[in-house]
Amino acid sequence: MTGLSYTLREAFTNISRNGLVVLGAVLAVFVSLTLTFGTLVLGEVVRINTLQWAEDVRVSAYIRDDVSPSGIADLQTEMESWPEVDEVFFMSKTESLEEARVLLANRPAALRVIEDDPSIVPASLRIKPVNPDDYQTIVTRAEAMPGLLSVESAAEAIDGMISLRDGLQIMSLFLAVALGIAAVALIANTIHMAIYSRREEIEIMNLVGASNWFVRTPFLLEGAFEGFVGAGLAVLVVVGGLRIASNQLTELPDWINIGIQSDYLARNGALVLIFGVVAGLAGSGLSLAVHKYLRT
Amino acid sequence: MLRLENVTKVYEGGVVAVKDVALDINKGEFVFLVGPSGSGKSTLIRLMMRDELPTNGDIWIAGKHASALSPWKVPQLRRSIGTVFQDFKLLPTKTVYENVAFAMEVTGKSRTAIHSQVPQVLKLVGLSAMADRMPRSLSGGEQQRVSIARAFVNRPLILLADEPTGNLDPATSVGIMRILDHINRTGTTVVMATHDHAIVDAMRRRVVELDRGRVMRDESRGVYGASGDTEDREEPVDRPVTDDDGTTNPASAETDLDTDDTNETPNDKDEGISSKPTEVAAEAAAEGDGG
Repeated sequence: MTGLSYTLREAFTNISRNGLVVLGAVLAVFVSLTLTFGTLVLGEVVRINTLQWAEDVRVSAYIRDDVSPSGIADLQTEMESWPEVDEVFFMSKTESLEEARVLLANRPAALRVIEDDPSIVPASLRIKPVNPDDYQTIVTRAEAMPGLLSVESAAEAIDGMISLRDGLQIMSLFLAVALGIAAVALIANTIHMAIYSRREEIEIMNLVGASNWFVRTPFLLEGAFEGFVGAGLAVLVVVGGLRIASNQLTELPDWINIGIQSDYLARNGALVLIFGVVAGLAGSGLSLAVHKYLRT
Repeated sequence: MLRLENVTKVYEGGVVAVKDVALDINKGEFVFLVGPSGSGKSTLIRLMMRDELPTNGDIWIAGKHASALSPWKVPQLRRSIGTVFQDFKLLPTKTVYENVAFAMEVTGKSRTAIHSQVPQVLKLVGLSAMADRMPRSLSGGEQQRVSIARAFVNRPLILLADEPTGNLDPATSVGIMRILDHINRTGTTVVMATHDHAIVDAMRRRVVELDRGRVMRDESRGVYGASGDTEDREEPVDRPVTDDDGTTNPASAETDLDTDDTNETPNDKDEGISSKPTEVAAEAAAEGDGG
């Protein structure tokens, strides 16, 4: 038991002796993980919202007037068999006219054209993709089908949404990697300095036969502690920030939803804490591996 | 206890520090390693504590094949070796007591063992009254005694001392030698590298002289410089173990370096070893000290 209490005591003596350097390492982990976790959470906000929008993603296939009802039914059956298609439903010319009247309510000129000759509004098949990302495949496949006037989708809106979501995902991955490396390097540097400042003690420990683990464990604990505290602060700031944002921003448009599920936050918060501890252990392990005072 | 077989140490850059050294040191022996600076004394000490590995040859330390020992077994080996250096290597932020206790703490000794052993060994080196002092408030001789107490507190089989009196005045050195002699009398093998003519000449113990990494002389009761009149020069290294207890030779008796071995075991005397060398000893040491 002397060993365990010694190890803990030494780890915390190190921390208190090198307060400023330790603070630097903790802040580095904190900033890195706040940015990473923050981006992840932002990505989740976008994902939740794109999920809602994705519900409305449709590909519209407009049908020529000369296609018979049985031909339309064949088209519908064919499209429903495609793996990327979730469901297909038919909108008759009458239903399409009703929809057009609603959509064009603010554009009297366009509305007048329709009212002049309601028959120009075609019937259509509305195709709902399984995955909104696949709409382009559906458009391409549908365009190859006979009997259609045109195939359309809200391409730009969908693309923008998808690229925003993908961009945030890539960015959070990039941030996690780059800032993770920075956090590991800063912890390694802190531990390196701690080892240097205690080189005399380490030399004597080696002389009198302290085991390798006995010499190294306090430094590993110190690194893990720094990583944990930095990560803990990051989780607090991101979760707290999100709470404040959802309380303050009551005037957000209806279509933006920042109510992230708390189990998402708990799961990813725990991951961030683990990441902090692992980064701390990796940093001190790196430092211990290369330090000349620790060779035997 | 220590056996070196054809040991050669070549440092990076091709500097040959130790060349083809064969040496056999028995349990309980007191051996001086002498020779000019750069003759390989310190390298030999570092090889004997497995701080360095030989480029060629084999080393056995306390029955273990040290030159073939895996790194993770080194700490265990070190526990059977005490080391003392010219620069003391004390921790400036710890008291005398804590410095000595440190050697026990970091090898996982129990608190009870620490509480009983540290005062004992401090008494042995005559520093009981200074247990709570910080090293920087002590004289060089006192600091070296703390360092010896730390080296001895785990009762090692071997004590290696690299120029332990190198930073000390002759009178103080005598006090250090008394302690090392006492430790040797408890059965601990002592190997000491030194430049100190007076001490070597006064103690009349085994002397191994090195020059440019080679053993030039190995005498069982030698003096510092090569002496043509020493009757047992070049005695075979594998001479039988002699139990040194009680063998006081005339030279050491004259200079009062040898203790009279009846009253200085760690447990039976309150004062431990006197820290004040006699005037005779001081003079003898001062006379022979070539610098």
